[in-house]
Amino acid sequence: MNRYFDTLGTIVQLELRQRIRSVAWVVLVSVVFVLVGIVTALLWASITAFGGDVADSAGVYSTIIFFVLLVGTLVTPAISGAAVNGDRDAGTLATTQVTLASAGQIVFGKFLAAWTVALTFLLASLPALLFTLIAGGVALDTLAASLGVLVLELGVVAAIGVGLSGLITRPLFSVVTTYLVVAALSIGTLIAFALGGLAFQSQQTTTYIGIDYSLGGEFDPVTGLPEEIVCLEPDTYTYTVPRFDYVWGILAANPYIVLADAAPTTFDENGYPQDLFGSIALGVRGAQLAPDLNAVNDECAAALAGDVNSAYEFETPQQIFDRTVPSWFVGLMIHLVLAGLAMAGAIARTRTPAGTLPTGSRIA
Amino acid sequence: MNSVAIAVEGVSRSFGDVHAVRDASFEVHAGSVTALIGPNGSGKTTLLLLLATLLKPDSGTIRIAGHDPVTDARSVRQAMGWMPDVLGSWGTISTRRTLEITGRLYERSAEQSRVRAQQLIELVGLDELAEQPTRVLSRGQKQRLSLARALVHEPSVLLLDEPASGLDPAARIDLRTLVRRLASEGVAVLVSSHVLAELDEMADAAVYLDHGVTASNDRIERSRAQARDWRIRAVEPPQLAAALDRLGIAAATPDHLGSTVSVATEVEAAELLARLVGEGVAISAFGPAVGDLEHTFLDLARGDVETPDDAPATTEGGDR
Repeated sequence: MNRYFDTLGTIVQLELRQRIRSVAWVVLVSVVFVLVGIVTALLWASITAFGGDVADSAGVYSTIIFFVLLVGTLVTPAISGAAVNGDRDAGTLATTQVTLASAGQIVFGKFLAAWTVALTFLLASLPALLFTLIAGGVALDTLAASLGVLVLELGVVAAIGVGLSGLITRPLFSVVTTYLVVAALSIGTLIAFALGGLAFQSQQTTTYIGIDYSLGGEFDPVTGLPEEIVCLEPDTYTYTVPRFDYVWGILAANPYIVLADAAPTTFDENGYPQDLFGSIALGVRGAQLAPDLNAVNDECAAALAGDVNSAYEFETPQQIFDRTVPSWFVGLMIHLVLAGLAMAGAIARTRTPAGTLPTGSRIA
Repeated sequence: MNSVAIAVEGVSRSFGDVHAVRDASFEVHAGSVTALIGPNGSGKTTLLLLLATLLKPDSGTIRIAGHDPVTDARSVRQAMGWMPDVLGSWGTISTRRTLEITGRLYERSAEQSRVRAQQLIELVGLDELAEQPTRVLSRGQKQRLSLARALVHEPSVLLLDEPASGLDPAARIDLRTLVRRLASEGVAVLVSSHVLAELDEMADAAVYLDHGVTASNDRIERSRAQARDWRIRAVEPPQLAAALDRLGIAAATPDHLGSTVSVATEVEAAELLARLVGEGVAISAFGPAVGDLEHTFLDLARGDVETPDDAPATTEGGDR
């Protein structure tokens, strides 16, 4: 067992030495470090300018985490997407395969190396993250959940990249395919959600019963209502509404939403989320709610009961959170399964002695 | 006779419609150097990949140091070193680190790997470039690194795919010396090469591969028995021409290397030399125009042009 990890470690070390050209890499990581620093400073300045309180550093923290996820998913495919087939093209895969390193160790080692590289971006933004933590306002459970999911999601991208590089013969195609998978999950899910919601439309009928302000005498100066409340005839409006509640599940597969939904949301005294995680999660939670197809807004009855505003149901984001379900674990599970399948496929294809080979490929 | 280190029996392997290896059978003994000879596209590299545990044969059996590469690849890999024809190296990693990492991948300890890397660097003469990243190495230097990498785990079976290509004459002599030394230490070496003259000096035995089929021993014997050209050079070429004329021996038009004469056997060649000396010709060089391997190779290849489908021997009677 020890020997197994020894060889695995050698592969990881080899990959890291081989893929990370020290100078270029240091420059890239430094750029990320500087960018995160600028983003943090600007966010901080804009929030304090509005007299924000300590909770606002939670907003900065969540923005940095999303930024790292963005940079990570943009760079990791380039690192991992040619890990196996690039070696085959360079003639260095076969010389590794004839050693005692197994296909599993080779592919898994490449994955661990790609993951490590992706995590260096998180490392580069660590000073900024620490700053927001020291400033306070970041709940411990939010911190743990968001960091955990971020690390896992970067691993998923690394695994999909390495997996596809083992499954697809040409490095260019596997890199592009990895980018397409990332784009499909990040942007494609949003497009599918929007189009899906528009494709399923329902007829919504809203009945409005107002107050006849031309009758009823003097207006009460406090409530703004006539002394005697006379109801108008019910007005009915009919229009079509998109049914996002049918397709909200698509959003569950979006890594940004997984991250947002997984981080426990903290609310302010008005029931509004305090960070970007909560704001984005609110989007997917709200989409779960079916529109009221036969809404009745009876202002008149409400006025008779004493409060016009009670005719309109109003829910705070916190109430919406409370009556909807979290979906992040479904999305994360989908991602992990995808990553696992890609890796398993790559290991099977890298196993030697090789039986069938895809046309146009050579073993060495 | 030494033990059989590589045993191949009726092995075939195809890629879709391309039958790279159709029927290969041969043995390589421990402590010997065997040449693997065949024209381009005859399946040499595929055969070596089958032996190197990288490809699965469609049929037939292979034993490397007694192990089956299909069912027990790990045991084969522990015993076998492979130098590929493709010169791949980890471009950003130094020669020394490359050999150390390879040692680690063969499950040697870090210390063992370090010591072995130093030995190999000295062995293949890459001392000055040991700390340079391998992408700065020339083709010949990469070739030497590749050989060193194949030797990291002190294999008892060595598979060399075109090891001499890209090497300068001095490095070729070094390679030959090294391969012979390894064989004398008991390693079974299988070398494929196009440089047949060189294999002639290195190899104890030869396997001829054409269109994925190894030539049978009978057929090789027959080729060896064929008349072949001998080259004669005299101090005074006109004197030689006159003497050959007197003896009634047809010679090809002399070129700058001398005259060539077709001779059936070595005995006949010896007689011819004696007669020429007897005629008073001052002979300065007398020997086969092409090496043994090349002669056999050319003869087999020629036979194959006329009988491309490996037809029965009877139809080959009219060769030459």
